[in-house]
Order: sequence, then structure tokens, then C-alpha cells
Amino acid sequence: MLKVVVPVEEEILRAAERRKATGVGEDIAQFLAELINLGFEHRLQQLYQRFEAGEISLGYFAHELGLSVRDLYAALEQRGLPTSNIGAKPSAAGS
Amino acid sequence: MLTVVFDAGPLITACKFKSQGKLVVDHLLSGCRIVIAPSVEEEVAVLGAGYPDGMAAGERIVRGEIQVVLVTERRWVRHLADYALGEGERDSIELCAQMEAEALVTDDYLAFVAATRLGLKVWMLPDLVLELTERGSLTLEVVEAILEVIRPRYRRGVIEHSLVRLQEMEE
Repeated sequence: MLKVVVPVEEEILRAAERRKATGVGEDIAQFLAELINLGFEHRLQQLYQRFEAGEISLGYFAHELGLSVRDLYAALEQRGLPTSNIGAKPSAAGS
Repeated sequence: MLTVVFDAGPLITACKFKSQGKLVVDHLLSGCRIVIAPSVEEEVAVLGAGYPDGMAAGERIVRGEIQVVLVTERRWVRHLADYALGEGERDSIELCAQMEAEALVTDDYLAFVAATRLGLKVWMLPDLVLELTERGSLTLEVVEAILEVIRPRYRRGVIEHSLVRLQEMEE
């Protein structure tokens, strides 16, 4: 996995340290990595909802997420989501 | 020969999926000329070069089977300004008008709506496949296989619609 240095809000770092101190979590770096992944996933889902609704195009979606169109195509495919937003919107049950 | 302008989404799909041992894009190229904007080349074949379909698109571009054409006339900058479109979609719409192509091929709702409102003919990838069948470039058997293999990339209704049209052609 790629390693980078990122600035972190103090309260997030304190939370990570508290988790480690109380034995809830062990590795601060892992906790922060999970937070970043969650943030990315949340942003992707937010934008997918706008894409699904036809408010934004696939290219705009990719740009907003900071991915290339091809990487976004792969990310959607990996999550079992269509890359076209024309046609019947899948129901909440996923049918 | 029929000239169509491809947006990135359908180009990726066409270069990714195979039917009867042949990439969908190669089936299409037997019946139409595919033109793309440089921004679409960048999205699919350059930034996507790490994917087999990006490589496939790149090879066809190098061989001249897919043509990359610069957008030199931008007549709809203001019309498109407030749509949340990407660069590739904007360029594809402009290029379609500039080339006087038969149609823009896009699977994107917003690009479809914007281009239609500008008076362009717009097809989804499955529509192009059916058009080539009607023109005798693809057999019904090949088309049915293509529609099935690309089905996961579409929402419900799109492939079903195309299969009904295909059935009507058979009758």
C-alpha cells in the first residue's frame, strides 16, 4: 500500500490515540487509513446519487472524485454499479 | 460509411467486452467509422492504458481504426456551460456537430439530454449495435451476444428494449 504524509485534524488524532490507549484499536495509522477509505467511499456514494439522478455526467463525477473516467468506471464496476445512468433506477432492494 | 462520435463510457465498454471471440469495438468497426475527441483518447487510452481495454483502444487509435480529431469549432460553449458535464462529454458533443457525424454515442443521461436539445442525433451503444444490424453490418446472432455481454453496464430497461427491437427485426 502507498504511504503518504497528510495533515490530520487534532481531534481526529486525539480520537485515534484514545482508541489505542483504551485498547479499542491498536494501530493509529490503520485507524486513519480506515477513516480516509470511509471518506472516499462516502464521497463516491454521494456523487453516485447525483449521477444516478442525472444531475451530473460520468466525466464530471470522475473529475469531482479526482479519478480518471477509466478508474471511476472500474470503481463502479467493482461495486456492481452500472456505468450508464439511463434506464430504470435500481430499487432500494437492489432489484 | 456511417461516422459516429464516441464518448468515453461506451468506448470503454466496446473495448472491454468480447462477443464470439472478438472485441465489441471490432464488430462495430466493420460497419462504422469511430471518431473521438483528444480528451476522450486521454481518458480511455492514455489514463486508461493500465487496463486491457485502454490498451485495445490505444492500439486501434495507432492503427487509425479509431480516429482522433481535434475540436476546432466550439459553437455551444454557452449552451453547455451550466451542465455538470466533463471535458470529454463537452468535446464529444462539439465534435459531433463539427464532423457532421451521423450520431453521438453516449450512455450518459446528461450528455444525451444536452446533445438532443442541441439537435444532434444521439444513440446509446446498444442503439448503434442495432443500427449496424439494420444496415446489414452485423448478424442478429452477433448482436444478441453483444447485448448480453454488455448488459451488466446498463440499468434495467435498456438491453430489454434493444432485445425487443432485435426481435422485431427478426420477424
